[in-house]
Amino acid sequence: MVSTIRPSRGYRVFQGVNGVILTLVVLITLYPFVNIVARSFSGEKEIRAGDVTLWPKGFDLTTYEIVFSDSMFWRNYGNTVLYTVVATAVAMVLTTCYAYVLSKHHLKGRGALVGIAVFTMFFTGGLIPNYVLITSLGLKNSVWAIALPNAISVFNLLVMKAFFESLPSELEEAAQIDGLSTYGVLLRIVLPLSKAVVATMVLFYSVSFWNSWFSAFLYMDRTELMPVTVYLRNLLAGATGGTGAGATTENLTQVNANIQAVTIVLTSLPILCVYPFVQRYFVSGVMLGAVKG
Amino acid sequence: MKNTGQLSRRQILAAAGFIGLAALTGCGSGDGEDAKDLSKKRTGAMKNHRSGQQFKATQPLTFTVLHNDNPNYPMKESWLFWKELTRRTGVTLDATPVPLSDYEKKRSLLIGAGDAPLLIPKTYPGAETAFVSSGAILPVSEYIDLMPNLQDKVRRWNLQPEVDSLRQSDGRSYLLPGLHEKVRQQYSLSFRTDILDQHGLALPTTWDEVHTTLKALREEYPDRYPLTDRWSTNTPFPAGALFQYLGQAHGVRAGWSYLNTTWDATAETFVFTGATDAFRQVVEYLRKLVAEKLMDPESFTQTDEEAVRKLLGERAFAISANAQELVQNYRYNLQRQVKGATIEMIPVPLGPAGPVVMGGGRLENGMMISSKALERDDFVALMQFVDWLWYSDAGQEFCKWGVENTTFTRSGGAGYRLEPGISLMGSDPDAPKDLQKDFGFHNGVFTYGGSWKLVSSSFGPDEKKFTDAMAARKELPTDPPHPLRAEEQEQATLWDTPLKDHVTQNALRFVLGKRPLSEWDDYVKELKAKNMDRYIELHNQAYERFKKENA
Repeated sequence: MVSTIRPSRGYRVFQGVNGVILTLVVLITLYPFVNIVARSFSGEKEIRAGDVTLWPKGFDLTTYEIVFSDSMFWRNYGNTVLYTVVATAVAMVLTTCYAYVLSKHHLKGRGALVGIAVFTMFFTGGLIPNYVLITSLGLKNSVWAIALPNAISVFNLLVMKAFFESLPSELEEAAQIDGLSTYGVLLRIVLPLSKAVVATMVLFYSVSFWNSWFSAFLYMDRTELMPVTVYLRNLLAGATGGTGAGATTENLTQVNANIQAVTIVLTSLPILCVYPFVQRYFVSGVMLGAVKG
Repeated sequence: MKNTGQLSRRQILAAAGFIGLAALTGCGSGDGEDAKDLSKKRTGAMKNHRSGQQFKATQPLTFTVLHNDNPNYPMKESWLFWKELTRRTGVTLDATPVPLSDYEKKRSLLIGAGDAPLLIPKTYPGAETAFVSSGAILPVSEYIDLMPNLQDKVRRWNLQPEVDSLRQSDGRSYLLPGLHEKVRQQYSLSFRTDILDQHGLALPTTWDEVHTTLKALREEYPDRYPLTDRWSTNTPFPAGALFQYLGQAHGVRAGWSYLNTTWDATAETFVFTGATDAFRQVVEYLRKLVAEKLMDPESFTQTDEEAVRKLLGERAFAISANAQELVQNYRYNLQRQVKGATIEMIPVPLGPAGPVVMGGGRLENGMMISSKALERDDFVALMQFVDWLWYSDAGQEFCKWGVENTTFTRSGGAGYRLEPGISLMGSDPDAPKDLQKDFGFHNGVFTYGGSWKLVSSSFGPDEKKFTDAMAARKELPTDPPHPLRAEEQEQATLWDTPLKDHVTQNALRFVLGKRPLSEWDDYVKELKAKNMDRYIELHNQAYERFKKENA
C-alpha cells in the first residue's frame, strides 16, 4: 500500500507564500529589462510622455534602422565577436595552465607564483605605462592588444585553482600508473572532469570581453577596428550631447528618445542567447570552486 | 612567506622603474635647443605668408591630427574636405579618429605617453593646463608671429585681454583658442506665447517682469508651477543654465559658468564669487520664485526628460532653452501634442547689471600643438597652415561651408546657400546628401569661431533673432591673467572643489527654503573655514606677480 505523507498545513502555506514572493522577485528583476526592450521599439512621443511600460507603444523602428543600416555597426559587431572569441580562447588556455600548475602542492616556488598573480590584484602599472608597453611591443591596432593584457583574471584563476585542488589526487595517480604523461593527465582526466568550471570561466571571460570597451578604445586607432561597444557608446554620446546633430529633425528626436534602450538590447542580446546553454554548468561550477574538498 | 615578500619588493622596484621610464618618455621633448632659430625649419613654408592670402606649401607635406569622431557624421576618408584641403594647401592631414564619447581621456593618454599627433584640436581653454608641466605641448604664444591671420583677428576684434587670460605661470600660453568676433549667447528662458496671449500677458524683458508674468500665470492656473527647469542632472551645478543667465543679469558667474574667483574691477582685486552680494541676489531671486510657488521645486533635481514632459503636458509654461532645444524638441513636440501651442525664447531678461554679457565668452575650444612639431623641418609651414585653416576668413569659410558652386553658393552678399540636394542639420529632409556626413564640412574639429557674419550664417530664424538681440549688449571686462604656479595650482585645486561644493549645496538649500537666508553670514563663515580667504589670497598674489613680471 502506497501512502504518501501529506504535507502539513503549515508547510503548504509556507510554499504558497514562498511561491508568491519568488514570483514577485522574478517580476521585479525582469521588469526593467522588459521595459528597456519595450522602449527600444516605442515611438519618441510615447516615451517622452512616459507611457511605455511593458509593451511597446507607437511602434517605431527608426533607431534600429539607423543603427543597422550603418555598415560600420556590422563591422564593429564582427570585431566584437572576433575579439571575444580570440581573447576568451587565449584566456582559457593560459588560465587553465596556470591554475593547474598552482593546484599542485608539491610544486616548488608555488607561493611565489601565487604571489605574482595576487600582486597584480593590488598594483598595476597605470594607464600610461601600460599604453607605452603595448605600443612598444607593437601590439597596437591588433587583436592581441585586447587579448593578451587581460588574458588572466586573477579571480578566475583562483576559483579554478580551488576547483583543481578539490579533485581527488588518487585519480591522477591512477592515470599516471596507467601510463599517462603530465599533459595526458591534464587533457584526458582533469579537463573532462572540469567541464563545469571550464564552462563557467568561458562564460565569465566572454561576458567581460564582450562588454569591455576600454582597452579597445585605448589601443585601437581606427574606427573600423573598434568593437561595437565603443560604436554604441559614441552613438549614445552623440545623441545625448546635443552638439551639432547630423540627422534630420524627426529622426534625431526619435534616436534621442530610445537610443539608450536600443543600445542595451543590442549589446546584451547575444549574451542572453548563450546564457541558457551555459547556465546549468554555471551554478555547479562556481559552487564547486568555492567549497573546497 | 619570506620568498613572496622579496618578490613583491622587486615588483615594486620594477613598477617604480617603469613609471619613471614612462615619465621620461612623456617629458622627453623639452625645448633644449634654441627654440627661436627657425631658419632650418622652413621646409615647405611660404616666404611671405600674409593675412588674407591663400596658404600653399611649396612641397607636399603631411601632418597628423587628432580627430574627434562625431557619430552624427562619422569620419570618412572619402570626404571632399580632405581632398580639397590638399589641393588648396598642399597639405595632407593624417587623422586619428577618437570616439567623441571619450575624447578627453584618449587625448590625455596620448599626450602623457608621448604619442600624440602634431595637431590636437577640440581643446577647451583651461584643459591645456594639465599638460604644461610635462613639456609635451608647444608654448604657442612664442610663435604667434608666424600666424598673421590670428594676429589680425586678435587685433581687429580686441581679443588681446581674452587671449592673455590663457597665459600660464611662465607667461606663455599653450593653446590656440577659437576666436569669436562677438559673444555667442545660447541659453535663455522660453515661454508658451499662446498661453501668454490668451491671458493678455506680454513677453517679459526684465527679471522683475518675469516675476510678475509668472505670478499672473500662477493666478490663472493655481494648481501648476508656471516655471519648471532642466539641466539639473549630470552637472555639478543643478539648473546650471538658469543660474548662468540669471547670474549674468546680476553681473556674476553662476551655474554652469560658476568660478570661485570673480574680478572686482573697482577694487582691482579678486573676490570669492559665492560670497558676493550679486550671488546673494541671484539666490534671493530664485528663493522668491520658489517660495511664491512660481517655480517648480523639482527643477533642481529632475531629469531633462521629466522637465520637458511637464512642459509638453502643460503642467508648466516656461522652461530654459537654447535654439536647438526650442526648435527641435519643445516646439516640434508641442505642435504635435497641444493644438495651437507656440513657444518663444526671449533675450536674457535684464537685471541689476543692465544690458551686459559676461566677459571672456569669445574664446572657444581651440588647438594644442605637440612640442614634437618644433623638431620638424616643416615647423614653420605647419604654423602657417594652422593659421590659414583655422584663422583666415577663407579657411574658416572653407571649413564651414565647403567649396563654392559645389556645396554652397553665395546669396545676397552676406548669405550662404547650400547647393540643392545638400542638407545641413535637417535643413532639407529630402536631400540625398548631407554637408557634414557626406562632404566633411561644418565639422566641429575644424569649424569654430569666426566673424559674426560667418558664425550667424548657419543660424535658424529663432537663433538669429535671439543672438542679434544679445549681440547688442555690452561685454563685461575679462578677468586679468593670474596664472598659478604648479605647486600653487595643486594647493588651489585642493581648496577649490570643497568650496565649490559648499556654494552649490547651500545655494540650493537657500533657494528651496531648507536654510533661511538669514543664515547667509553663517554660510560665509563656513566658507572661511574652508579656506576661502587663503584661496582668494593665492589668486591675488598670482595676479600681482604676473602684473609685475609682465609689466
